[in-house]
Amino acid sequence: MSDRNNKIPFDEDNYTHNINRNNERMLDRRGFMKTLAGAAGVFAVSTLPWGAVAAKELMGLGNKEYPNEKIADVKDVKVGDSVKFTFPTEHDSAILIRLSENKYVAYQNACTHLRCPVYWVKDEKEMICPCHHGKFDASTGAPTAGPPRRPLPGIEVEVKDGAIYAVRVKRYEA
Amino acid sequence: MKRSYVGVLILAAILLMNIVFTQLVVHQYYYENYGVTLLYAGLNILLFPVALFVYKNEKNKGGSKGYEK
Repeated sequence: MSDRNNKIPFDEDNYTHNINRNNERMLDRRGFMKTLAGAAGVFAVSTLPWGAVAAKELMGLGNKEYPNEKIADVKDVKVGDSVKFTFPTEHDSAILIRLSENKYVAYQNACTHLRCPVYWVKDEKEMICPCHHGKFDASTGAPTAGPPRRPLPGIEVEVKDGAIYAVRVKRYEA
Repeated sequence: MKRSYVGVLILAAILLMNIVFTQLVVHQYYYENYGVTLLYAGLNILLFPVALFVYKNEKNKGGSKGYEK
């Protein structure tokens, strides 16, 4: 070892002979515990947004309530007919369809493609968007043909004293 | 040198509980049980100070030097 550097050139078989790492990259017991505690911190922080959103939902900010709005009288809407209305504001046009004797569905009828007004074609039992021939299933609001990919936002309706009321906009579930 | 692995085991258990709680938080959120979501999120956050406490207590256990005890 001592006469190694006296040979010129000395025979070296690696180029890192003068680097003494001193085990600095070794993960010992204490370092491992430190890593575990840090990981616990990361998990704690990562659940904060979920808790915040859940708290927001609990405080009722997620489900907005609007005053119930009368759409039409039951006697004016025959089975298979549709009525246009606006809910919850006058700028949100919507459509009510009476599918059967007791089944009413309502959707905000701005097409989910480019917001053209979707209308109800009684003969074909479909909701059709005139702009690009998007079609929606009347019982669920799901898109069945054409460019739209998302369902129409549903509106909960309630029949009370011979009249139909819009109660609330359903939660959007993607 | 005699080592104490109690702290390592406890911290590993805490990390496992963290993983389980995080999974439950996400699932219960999508099941719309928001109260339960908050409960698990709170537990998950509480685990961090517990982990720190365990680390501080255990980091010098089992050392070779007498004063480290």
